[in-house]
Amino acid sequence: MSIQYKSIKDLNNMLLSKEISHKELITETFALIESKKNLNAFITLNKDAAIEKAVLLDRKKNESMLAGIPIAQKDLFCTKDLRTTCGSNMLSTFIPPYSATVISNLENAGCISVGKTNMDEFAMGSSNETSFYGNVENPWGVNLVPGGSSGGSASAVASGIVPAATGTDTGGSIRQPASLCGITGLKPTYGRISRWGMIAFASSLDQAGPMARTAEDCGILLNEMCSHDIKDTTSLNEHIPDFTKNINQPIKGMKIGIVKEFDLSKLDNEVVKVFEESKKYYESLGAEFIEISLPNISLSVPTYYVVAPAECSSNLSRFDGVKFGKRCEDPKNLEDLYIRTRSEGFGDEVKRRILIGSYVLSAGFYDAYYKKAQQVRRLIKNDFDEAFLKVDVLMSPTTRGAAFEAGSKGSDPIQMYLEDLFTIPANLAGLPALSIPNGFVDSKPIGLQLIGNFLEESKLLQFAHSFQQITDFHLKTPSGENI
Amino acid sequence: MSWETVIGLEIHVQLSTNSKLFSGGSTGFGAEPNTHVDLIDMGLPGVLPVANREAFYKAIRFGLATNAEINQTSSFDRKNYFYPDLPKGYQITQMAMPIVGKGSIKIDVDGSEKIINITRAHLEEDAGKSIHDLFDGETGVDLNRAGTPLLEIVSEPEISNAKEAVAYFKAVRQLVTFLDICDGNMAQGSMRCDVNVSIKKQEDEKLGTRAEIKNINSFKFIERAINFEIERQIRIIESGESVVQETRLYDSVKNETRSMRSKEEANDYRYFPCPDLLPVVISDNEFNDIKNNLPELPDEKEKRYMSEANLEEAEAKIISSSKTMANMFEDACSKTDDSKLVANWLVGDVSALLNKDNIDIEESKLSSNNFATLIERISDKTISGKIAKSVLEEVWESGHDVDNIIKDKGLVQIQDESVLEEIAQKIINDNPSQVGAYKGGKDKLFGFFVGQVMKETQGKANPKSVNDILKNLLDS
Amino acid sequence: MDKKTVTTIAYLSRIALDEDNEDKITTDLENIIKFVDQLDNANVDGVEPLTNPLEKKAQTREDKVTAENRKETFLDRAPKSNEDYFLVPRVVE
Repeated sequence: MSIQYKSIKDLNNMLLSKEISHKELITETFALIESKKNLNAFITLNKDAAIEKAVLLDRKKNESMLAGIPIAQKDLFCTKDLRTTCGSNMLSTFIPPYSATVISNLENAGCISVGKTNMDEFAMGSSNETSFYGNVENPWGVNLVPGGSSGGSASAVASGIVPAATGTDTGGSIRQPASLCGITGLKPTYGRISRWGMIAFASSLDQAGPMARTAEDCGILLNEMCSHDIKDTTSLNEHIPDFTKNINQPIKGMKIGIVKEFDLSKLDNEVVKVFEESKKYYESLGAEFIEISLPNISLSVPTYYVVAPAECSSNLSRFDGVKFGKRCEDPKNLEDLYIRTRSEGFGDEVKRRILIGSYVLSAGFYDAYYKKAQQVRRLIKNDFDEAFLKVDVLMSPTTRGAAFEAGSKGSDPIQMYLEDLFTIPANLAGLPALSIPNGFVDSKPIGLQLIGNFLEESKLLQFAHSFQQITDFHLKTPSGENI
Repeated sequence: MSWETVIGLEIHVQLSTNSKLFSGGSTGFGAEPNTHVDLIDMGLPGVLPVANREAFYKAIRFGLATNAEINQTSSFDRKNYFYPDLPKGYQITQMAMPIVGKGSIKIDVDGSEKIINITRAHLEEDAGKSIHDLFDGETGVDLNRAGTPLLEIVSEPEISNAKEAVAYFKAVRQLVTFLDICDGNMAQGSMRCDVNVSIKKQEDEKLGTRAEIKNINSFKFIERAINFEIERQIRIIESGESVVQETRLYDSVKNETRSMRSKEEANDYRYFPCPDLLPVVISDNEFNDIKNNLPELPDEKEKRYMSEANLEEAEAKIISSSKTMANMFEDACSKTDDSKLVANWLVGDVSALLNKDNIDIEESKLSSNNFATLIERISDKTISGKIAKSVLEEVWESGHDVDNIIKDKGLVQIQDESVLEEIAQKIINDNPSQVGAYKGGKDKLFGFFVGQVMKETQGKANPKSVNDILKNLLDS
Repeated sequence: MDKKTVTTIAYLSRIALDEDNEDKITTDLENIIKFVDQLDNANVDGVEPLTNPLEKKAQTREDKVTAENRKETFLDRAPKSNEDYFLVPRVVE
C-alpha cells in the first residue's frame, strides 16, 4: 500500500496493524525521494542510518505514535556526524560533532530522520531561490517556488514523500512555504523549542516548528519538539502541555480578531474571496469576529529588516575560514583569508543582509536604526497584548497570493521582503502562529494564518483542527487525489 | 613648559573560576593546546552561551571591596571584530549595564596615599591565543583561553605618573588576590593592563590626545612603557606635530612603544545587546551572602595580627601585604603558639631571601606547608634556630621537603642533656687554661666553650641547653 | 549612500566589493535603507527597546567543568591545522 501523502496518524496505524514493517516504510520513503528528485527538496540523505534504525524497530515492541515515522529535517539543524549546510557553500563540508536538541528530542521519540532538506541560504529568503544547492520545486507546479526559507521541508511534505518535516521561522519561513505548498505549518511561542543546535540567523526571532499534513500531526510533533533546555538561556521554563489534548473542543463562542491595518483591498480579488469564505466557515462553527486595530503593524516589515540583518551580521561572523567550514584557496594573508572566504562562501542575499546589518549597527546609525527598530518592536508587541485582551486568536491570509514563478520577483530585494508582510509581526512579538490550507487561486494552494497569544499553541491547534474537520483543502494533493 | 601627564589604566583580571564565563570548559592554565575547548568556546554554528554565576559573585566581591555601585541586574553586549583567536567574530562583554559601577581604591606611593577612582568594572570573555613564532609563515591558534572570564577594571584618568600607575596596579592586584577572585599570577597572564597616556600643559584644561599601550603584564614594563610614551609625546608636540590617537604595543627588548599596524577606521565595534543572553539578576539573598562572606582584606589582617598575634605595625604590614605571605603566616601559626617566631622568620630570613633573589613570594620554591613544618620543627626543638637557617636555604634552592632535609643531613638537634653534659665536660677537661682564665674573670671566654661544644656537635646541640649546662659546670 | 560608507561597511563585514557587484550592492543598500527609513515616523518617546520577546531573567549555570577534551574532533574539522593548532596565514601585529 502506498505511503505517499499519509499522515503521521495514518502511518502509525499501518505500522501497528502490521500492514507495513518499519523497514518497508523507510525503504519506500527513500524510493519516493528518489522518484521525486526533480523537486530538489533534499541536500543530504541519511539512508543507511535510517534503514538501520528501522530494522532495529522491527525487532522491538515499541509502538509509540512517532516510532519509526520518517521525518525530513531542515538543513539548519545540526545533526551529529551528518553533513549540515544551511543551504550554503560556506558549510558544504561541515559535519557537526553534535545534534540540535530538537533533533535529539524527535529521534528519542522514535522519529527516523531521513535527510536534510534544502532551504534558502542561512534561512534568508522567501522562495528557496537563494540556496547554493539549487532551487526547490513546488510540487503544485514545475516552475513554481515552494516558498522559503523552509522550501525543501514544505515540498517534501506537500509531495507526500514524508508525513512531516521540521522547519524554522524567523519572519515566516514555516508559515509562508506551508501556505504556498498547501500544508500546515506552525511556529510556536518564542522559547518553546530550544535553539541549541539551530544555526542562528536572527537570535531573537528564530524558532523551530513542525510542518505536516494536518493540525493534529503538528500538535503530535510539537509535543516532542518542545522542551526546557538549560543549554539555551532563551528557552522557556513553562509547563509543556499535551498540545493535542483539547484539539477536538468546539470553538463556539470564541472570538477571532481581524486586523484593520492589514488592508486586504490591496490583494488579488481571488485571494480576498478565499479569505472571506474561510470567515464563513468559522462563523458556521460559532466563532465571533471582532475588528482589531494594531496601530503600529505597518512598521513591522521595516522593523524586521533592521533587527534581523543586525543580528545576522553578527551571528555570521563566525564563518571566517579559521576553525570550520570552507576556506578560500591559498590565502595570501589574514585579510585575504577573511575577505575571500566570506565573499566566495556566501551568496548575494546573505551578503546584502550582513551589509545592512553592519550598517544599522555602525557608530552614528545605531540610535536611528537599531535602537529605534527595537523600540517600535515593543510598540508592536504592546499592540498584540492589547488585542488579546479582546480576542482568542487573530486571523489573516498567510501570504499575499499563491506560489509565484521562480525568478519572477526580479532583482529588487524589497519585492521579496514584502512577501512576509503578514507573517513577520508574530516573530517580532514572539507569539505563536500557524498556517493551514484554506483554498486555491489559479489552482494553486494558499493558506490562512492564525496568530495566538503567548503560550497558546493548544488554542491555535484547536481552531485549526476545527477548520480541518469541516473542510478538505488540507486533503488535496498535487497529483489530484484527495487523501 | 611644564607638562602634565594624564594616565588611565584598564586592567583585565582573569577570574579564578573553575569553568569559563559561558561554557563548561576548564580555565586551568598550562594545558596542551586546544584541550580545554568546549563546543561553545569553539563558536560552532548553533551553540549558545550560558552565564557562570560564580563569575558574577567574584565581580561583586570586587565591587564591595571598592565601595562601588553594584548593579544586581546587568546585561551583555556584543563587541564585533575579526581576529583568529576570537572564534565567534565577536566578544561578549558588558557595555550598557556593567555589573560594577563607580568605586575607588586607595594607593600608596612612597609613603603617601592617594585615592584613585574607578569608573566601572565589567565582565567579559577572554579570547584565545595566537602564536606567531612557532610556524613558518603561519600563526597557530590555541582556543584554551577563549571564554575565560575577565573582569575589566577601568580607572578614571586620575593617575599622574608611572610610579602612581604601578602603585595602582599593585593595589588592584593585592585586592583581587585577597578577595580570592584572581591568583594574581602575572607571568601566567592572570592580570594584564592597557595604559592610556596623554599629556597636556599645566594651564590647559582640555586633555591631550591619548595613545593606548596594550597588554602589559609586568610592573617594570608598565613603568618603562609609560615613561617612554611620555617622552615620545612631548617630543612630538614640541616639534609642532600632534599626537595620533592610536593603539601601541610596548617592546620590552627595545624599550619603546610602537604603533600597531591596523587600518584607521579599523574598529567600529558595532556594540549591541546580545540577543542570546537575557539580563542576569543577582538576588538580594545571593548579594547578602557574598557581602557576609567577604574574605579578610589586608587592612583587616594587619589590625588582627597586631591585636591577636601581638605583632608590631611594621611586621604586620609586611606580612599582610601579600596574600601568599599572609596565608603562610596563618598556616605556620597553627603549628606553634609563638606567632612572634613566625613573624620574625617571615620578616627576617624569608624576606631577605626574597630580596636577594629579587622575586615575589609566589615565585619562590617555599611552599606554605614546608614553611609551617620548618616553624614546627623549630618550635618542638627538633632543630635549632641556627640549623633552621641552613634548612631554609636548602628548601629555597631545591624546594625539597623540610623533614626529608633534616633526616638526610642528620640535622636533628641534640637534646639529650646527658650527652651534652658529657661533651661539655670533655671540653672543659681539654681546655684547662681557658677554664682558669674564665674563672679568673674573663667572662667573654664563655662564648669559646659554647663554640667548642657546638663544633663538637656539628652545630646540632640545643644552644639553650648548652648554655645552661656549661654555666652549671663552669660556675660551680 | 556614498562610496566611502559602502567600502567601510564592506570592510567591517570582510566582504569584497568588486566592479561586478559594487554598484548593484550600493543600489540595493540604498533602497533597503530608504525602505526602513519609514521608522522615522514612529513616536518612540520613553519606549524601552525590546531586545528579546521573553521578559525574564537569565538562567545561569554552576561553576563546574563539564567539557571533555575534544581536540581531535575540532582540529579534524578545521580547514587548516596541525596536530595542536588551528593555522592561519602569519599575523603581523
